[in-house]
Amino acid sequence: MRPAPAAALLFGLAAAALLARHTASVAALAAVLLVVCLRAPVSRRWPYLIGSLGSASALFVLTPFVERLPGTVFWSGPTIPVVGTLDVTSTELSGALFNACRLAAVSLAFSAYALWLDHDRLVQAAGFARRSVLAVALATRLVPALERDAAGLVEALRGRGVEPEGIRGRARLLSPLLAGSLERSLSLAEAMEARGFGRPDATRLPQPRWGLREPLALAGAALAVVVGVLWL
Amino acid sequence: MALARAESLSFAYPGSTVPALRDVSVGLTPGEVTLVLGCSGSGKSTLLRAFAGLVPHFHGGRFSGRVELAGLDTRRHGPAQLAGTVATLFQDPEDQVVFTRVLNEVAFGLENVGTPPQEIEARALAALASVGAEHLSGRLVAELSGGELQRVCLAATLALEPRLLLLDEPTSQLDPEGAKALLELALRLARERGTAVLLSEQRPALPLELCDRVLLLDDGRLTFDGPVGRARAWLEEHHPLFVSAGGDVGVHLHHFGEVTSRLDGVSYAYEDHLLVLDDASLELRRGEIVALVGPNGSGKTTLAKLAAGLLEPQSGRVDRRGRATYLSQDPGRYVLRERADEEVSVGVHGDLAAASRALAAVGLAGHEARHPRDLSSGERERLALAAVLAPEPDLLVLDEPTRGVDPERKHELAALLRANRRRATLVVTHDEAFARAVADRIVSLALDRELVHA
Repeated sequence: MRPAPAAALLFGLAAAALLARHTASVAALAAVLLVVCLRAPVSRRWPYLIGSLGSASALFVLTPFVERLPGTVFWSGPTIPVVGTLDVTSTELSGALFNACRLAAVSLAFSAYALWLDHDRLVQAAGFARRSVLAVALATRLVPALERDAAGLVEALRGRGVEPEGIRGRARLLSPLLAGSLERSLSLAEAMEARGFGRPDATRLPQPRWGLREPLALAGAALAVVVGVLWL
Repeated sequence: MALARAESLSFAYPGSTVPALRDVSVGLTPGEVTLVLGCSGSGKSTLLRAFAGLVPHFHGGRFSGRVELAGLDTRRHGPAQLAGTVATLFQDPEDQVVFTRVLNEVAFGLENVGTPPQEIEARALAALASVGAEHLSGRLVAELSGGELQRVCLAATLALEPRLLLLDEPTSQLDPEGAKALLELALRLARERGTAVLLSEQRPALPLELCDRVLLLDDGRLTFDGPVGRARAWLEEHHPLFVSAGGDVGVHLHHFGEVTSRLDGVSYAYEDHLLVLDDASLELRRGEIVALVGPNGSGKTTLAKLAAGLLEPQSGRVDRRGRATYLSQDPGRYVLRERADEEVSVGVHGDLAAASRALAAVGLAGHEARHPRDLSSGERERLALAAVLAPEPDLLVLDEPTRGVDPERKHELAALLRANRRRATLVVTHDEAFARAVADRIVSLALDRELVHA
């Protein structure tokens, strides 16, 4: 399938997950998107899955402690100044599960976009927004690039006999990673400018025509949004 | 008649008080291949960027003098406007790739310069064919080897049919065979089309055989400009290391101490199950310097990582005695701390005195308080070397330590390594001259994974 309709379909599924009101519906959408992501090669999919499922899990765990909703109290903890008494209620848990499923569905939709779509074709299919789409495509490549950089920094540390240990040890890599990605983005920007990027007379490689699957995907995207609003 | 000309060009990067170029005047003629030589930081890349319009438009800074390309003044015409007339192949191909598929990558420049849409694919494929890479057109860029990627990037520049081709150390990541093939190809195509070529290189032996004219930059000044025949004699007199095979760095030893690392029948395959090493054996003794050479993809880095303990073999056995340190190919990985001495002290439990000694050993005394990212590329390489020397390892493994390093710095590095015979040293390198200069023994790793000891 061509990437623009596929991106629209993923966007439709993410929108449906945001619009739906029932936890089971959102969880089903997240499960479908998880299956799509699991079909990607292991070496590529794991940072996306850790990011998506990790952030959703964190949301599920933390939400009951910061919300104060009535319901059956499952656990009651100490009283903390400003925050008040910590407790976990049935309403808080169900709300946390709902929001975690939502976050998982949206981030898995992005993961599927990053893992499966041909970003080159997406850029080429973009009309007036080509520069913006190119920026998004390049940003999408940031995740695997950061992963490679992080592996390189860890390797250089291990080459000096130092093992980065624990969250604190790995957190110290964040700042050099960010600075490194900024340096690389400058190099890329320079290379793009040297190759004429930004000229007003730019043309583009002709695109093949759409088949049957492309309009079906667009229809599916619209349907997902409508169903999300009305029935899910 | 010159196609491109710099007149009294001086330039300093923003925030720098030292000019990168000082009063440089040079003209480039169609069909002529000009090699620009010089030490790291001498202004070679800056000169190339000035002809591409990237200096001053992309980098900013203080610019005086004049650069003209095909009658266009680069002060009034930016790099995007000059693209097509000039094309640049940069040192690191991974930093210039925009798209994920090869054909789209080659087509990118053609699209930008307004090539009629119906011609783009044919011209991109023709450019790929001209560099022998037509079969790669449908491949993902991420799947290509270093040599294949550099060929694709060369195709992307040649597709524009530029009148001036700028090659900024295009072979620094290639093995000698790959470097020779790429340079011969680029220069043959340029000559056939009457393209002016300005080529910067740190391994000058091969380019000196292929070029017509040589420029030498020294601290931003043009100190030599003449035909290649005269250049050889001038270089022998003023910069002999640029034309010699590594220089004399002392006696090569033949008797060494105990074994510090022994690899016995090791095999290794990465996640994609491609067998990189198969039943390889190597012994490294205290006091010995071994150079590991071989083509791209032959498994040199994997063998080095196994020796240093960064990887564990899937079969076979590695015995190590004492501590091993490993210098990565990329000096940009030694930038974790805010000060140079703190960075070097990472491997010695924060011992700043040991870090200062290591910095002094690599010529960075007085740079302790500087941020690693503020160092020049040559200084960063030395910082990285200091970081792996500071722990005083029993086995020192250096992976491509001469990439982008000028001949005079290579000579210093060889002398530094040979000065300490208390450790075993394994040097992975594509640089045959450096290998001959530094090593007591050269081990060649072939693509069929056979180790040949010389």
